[in-house]
Amino acid sequence: MKLSELKAGDRAEVTSVLAEPAVRRRLMDMGLVRGTELEVLRFAPLGDPIEIRYKGLLLTMRLNEAEGITVNKLASAEVCTDGGGGIRRRHRFGRGA
Amino acid sequence: MKEIRVALAGNPNAGKSSLFNALTGAHQRVGNFSGVTIEKHEGYLDYRECRITVVDLPGIYSLTPYSPEEIVTRRYIIDERPNVVVNVVEGTNLERNLLLTVQLMEMEVDLLVALNMIDEVEQKGISIDIDQLEKLLGSHIVPTSARQRKGLDDLLDHIISVSDGRIEIRKNKMTFSPQVEKAVESIAGLLGHERDLSKANHRWLAIKLLENDREIYSQVQKYPVWVKVELAIQEAISECGLLQGTDPEVLITEDRHAFVRGAMQECVRQPRVSRATPSEKIDMVVLNRVLGLPIFFFVVWAIFQLTFTLGAPLMDALEYAFALLSDTVAPHLPNPVLRSIFVDGVISGVGSVVVFLPNIVLLFMGLSFLEASGYMARAAFVIDKVMHRFGLHGKSFIPMITGFGCSIPAIMATRTLKSRSDRLATIMTIPFMSCGAKLPVYVLLTGAFFPPTMAANVMFGIYLLGIVMGLWTAWILKSTVLKSESEPFVMELPPYRWPTFTSVILQARMKAVMYLKKAGTLILGAVMVIWASSNYPHSRALEAELARETVRIELSPVAQEQKEQALRHLQASMESRQLEYSLAGRSGKLLEPLIRPLGFDWRIGISLVTGLAAKEVVVSTLGTIFSIGHAEEQSGLSAILRSDPGFSRATALSLMVFVLLYIPCVAAMGVMKKEVGSWKPVLLYSGYVLLVAWVASFITYRLALLFA
Ligand SMILES: Nc1nc2c(ncn2[C@@H]2O[C@H](COP(=O)(O)OP(=O)(O)O)[C@@H](O)[C@H]2O)c(=O)[nH]1
Repeated sequence: MKLSELKAGDRAEVTSVLAEPAVRRRLMDMGLVRGTELEVLRFAPLGDPIEIRYKGLLLTMRLNEAEGITVNKLASAEVCTDGGGGIRRRHRFGRGA
Repeated sequence: MKEIRVALAGNPNAGKSSLFNALTGAHQRVGNFSGVTIEKHEGYLDYRECRITVVDLPGIYSLTPYSPEEIVTRRYIIDERPNVVVNVVEGTNLERNLLLTVQLMEMEVDLLVALNMIDEVEQKGISIDIDQLEKLLGSHIVPTSARQRKGLDDLLDHIISVSDGRIEIRKNKMTFSPQVEKAVESIAGLLGHERDLSKANHRWLAIKLLENDREIYSQVQKYPVWVKVELAIQEAISECGLLQGTDPEVLITEDRHAFVRGAMQECVRQPRVSRATPSEKIDMVVLNRVLGLPIFFFVVWAIFQLTFTLGAPLMDALEYAFALLSDTVAPHLPNPVLRSIFVDGVISGVGSVVVFLPNIVLLFMGLSFLEASGYMARAAFVIDKVMHRFGLHGKSFIPMITGFGCSIPAIMATRTLKSRSDRLATIMTIPFMSCGAKLPVYVLLTGAFFPPTMAANVMFGIYLLGIVMGLWTAWILKSTVLKSESEPFVMELPPYRWPTFTSVILQARMKAVMYLKKAGTLILGAVMVIWASSNYPHSRALEAELARETVRIELSPVAQEQKEQALRHLQASMESRQLEYSLAGRSGKLLEPLIRPLGFDWRIGISLVTGLAAKEVVVSTLGTIFSIGHAEEQSGLSAILRSDPGFSRATALSLMVFVLLYIPCVAAMGVMKKEVGSWKPVLLYSGYVLLVAWVASFITYRLALLFA
C-alpha cells in the first residue's frame, strides 16, 4: 500500500520509492530507502502534508509525494518499541550484499 | 602569513552558520555564488600566524545536482579547491548527517569532521566512539559546540595541520555492493584512458554517472570515451535490474545507508529514549489538528506586530531626524537651487532609503528566530495546503503576509524559499498585498467619499481584492511560465532549539547591510529622478510672477497678518503651478488620454507618477495639486476633493484600486531586481501589473458609475 494511505499512528516498512527522479532522490537522501521502518505521526491541520518519524528524525511531505512510497503496514507487535533508534536491529544491516 | 581556505559543508541545521559565526565573529560579508541567488557567507580569522578564510556553503543533504544548493556546493569544492573541507555534522542526528559525509569522502577532498552539538550529545547520554569512527571514515573528527564555543581551537589546530599535511587524510573508499562496485571500476577504468580527464577523480565520476547525474553526464559526453562509458552504464543498469530489482542509483544510495548504519552500530550507543522527545511533545500542541492553525496565525500576527508596530515609532523617529537634519542644513545653503538639490533631493532621498531599516532589522530578527528555533518549517507544514492550491509553497506565507506591512522586507524574506520558481512567484504576489504606505491613500479617499460606516467595508474590500489578485497572479505564473521547476515538499522538521542571541543579531545586521548596499543606491537614484522630474524644469515665468506678486503684496496697504496669509496662498498656488509645469506634471497631462477612461484627470495622473517614489506620496501630491484655487477656504484635502467636480465616489474607488495594483514603488522595484537578478522579469511584471490595474480600475469605475 502507499504511504499516503496510512493513518496517523500507523507503522510501516518502506518497500520501494517510486517518484519522479528529483523527488525520489530527495526522499532517499533523507534516509527513506527500502527497509526503513517509519511511523505516521500526523497530518497537517488541513489534512496535507503528512508527518512521519523514522531513525529519530521527523519528515514532512505532501500527500502526492507520499503516494510514490509503497510500504508494508506493520502490526504494532512486530515493531521495536524505541521508535526506530534502530541500533539493535543488527539483522537489517547489510541486506545480504 | 599563511593563507588557508576552509569551506564548511553540512546538512541544514547542523549548526554551520553558528560555527561560522563563532569562528569568524564580525569579520564576515555576504555575497552571492556566481550566477545564483544563494547567499555566500565568507569570513576570516587570524590564528597562529595563519589567515584562515572560511566559506559557509549552503546547507545540503546530498551532492546530487537536483538543487541549486547542491550544485553550488559541488562546484565550489571542485573548482575552488578549498584547502580543507570541514563537514559539520549534528552529533545528535549522526545517521542522517553521515550520509553526506560519505559522499564528501567519495570526492576525496581533505576532509575534517566537526562533530557539532557535542553539548547536546553529552546531555542526552549518547556515547560516540570517535576513534573507531575516525578509522571508518578516514578523516579526523573534532567534537565542537558552536553554541558554547567549545572545541573551536582544537578544530582550528586540526585545520592547520591538515592543510600542512601533518595530518594525513586516509581517503578511504567505501565499497559498494558487487554489481555496483564492478560497474564503478570498469567505468572509472574507461575514464582513466581519456587524456583530458587525467586529473579528474575517475571513481567519483563513475559513481555519479551511475547515479544518473545529469551534470556529470554533460561533462563526460564531450569525450570520445563516452561511447564505451554509455555502454557500460547500460550494462550496469540492466544487471542491477536483473539481480537486485532496481537501478544503480537506488543501490548506491542504499549502500551508503548500509555503510552509515554499520558505522552507527559500531560506534554509537544511544540510551533507550523515552517515547516522545521534548520536540515531539511541543509538536503535539503546536501541530495539533485544532490548535495548529490558531497558533500559526498567532505567530504570524506576533511577527507582524513586532515588525510594524514596534517599527513605526522608530520609523517616525528616523523621519523626524532627517527633517531635523534638513532644517539645520538649509539655512547654511544660501543658493536656492543648491539648497533644493541638497535638502529636498539628497537628504530626503537618503531618508527615504533609511526609513525602512527598522522594519528590515526587526523582521529579520523575528524571522531568524523562527528559522533557528525550528518553528519556520512547522509553519510551512501547517499552511502548505492552502498555499499549494495556488502553486505556492508553505514557506511563501510569511513573506506574503509581511507584504501587508511593506513589500521591501517581504521580498527580501523570500530567501527562505529554495526553488527559484517558488521564490519568483512569491515575490510577484507580494506587491498585491496592500502595504502600509497605501493605507493613507485609502484613508483619505474612503474618508472623503464614504460615510464612516461604509469606509471600513470599502477598505476591507480593497485589501481582499489585493489578496485575490495576488494569489491569482501566483496561480497564473505557476501554471504557465514557472510551471516546471517546483520544489518537492519534502522537509525535515528540526528539533526545537533556542537560537543564540548573536546569530539572530548577526542575521539582522547582514540583511540591513545588504539592503543598504545593494538596493539602497538604486532606490536613492530613482527617488532623486522622481524628485528632479517633479521640480524641473523651472518655469521662469512663474518665478517672475512670484517675485512680482510678492512685491505687490508686500507693498499693499493691508495689515501684516493679511499680508502673510496672502503670501502663503501665493506660495501654495505657485508650488502647484510649478508642479504642473514640471516633467512630472507634463507626463500627467500626457497620460490623461490613457487614464481618462478610469475617471482620472491629469492631476491624478501626476500623483500617480510621483507616487512611484512611495505610495503615500500620492496623498501629498494630491494635496499640492488640488489646492489650486482652493487656498482661500482653508479646508482639508478631503473636503476639497469632495467639492471638486473632477472627483466623484466612482473616481475615488477607481483610484484606490489603481493605487493598490499598479507598479510598486521604486524601492520595492529595486529590491525586486536585486532578488530576481535581472531587470527583464521586473519590467515584464511592471507591464503586467499596469495592465491589471488599468482593467480592474476600468471595471470598478464603470460599475460604480452604473450603481451610483
Ligand atoms: N546545543 C547546541 N545548539 C547548537 C549548536 N550549534 C548550533 N546550535 C543551534 O542549532 C540551530 C541551528 O543552527 P544553525 O547554525 O542555524 O544551523 P545551519 O542551518 O547549519 O546553519 C540553532 O538554533 C543553533 O542555535 C551547538 O553546538 N549546540
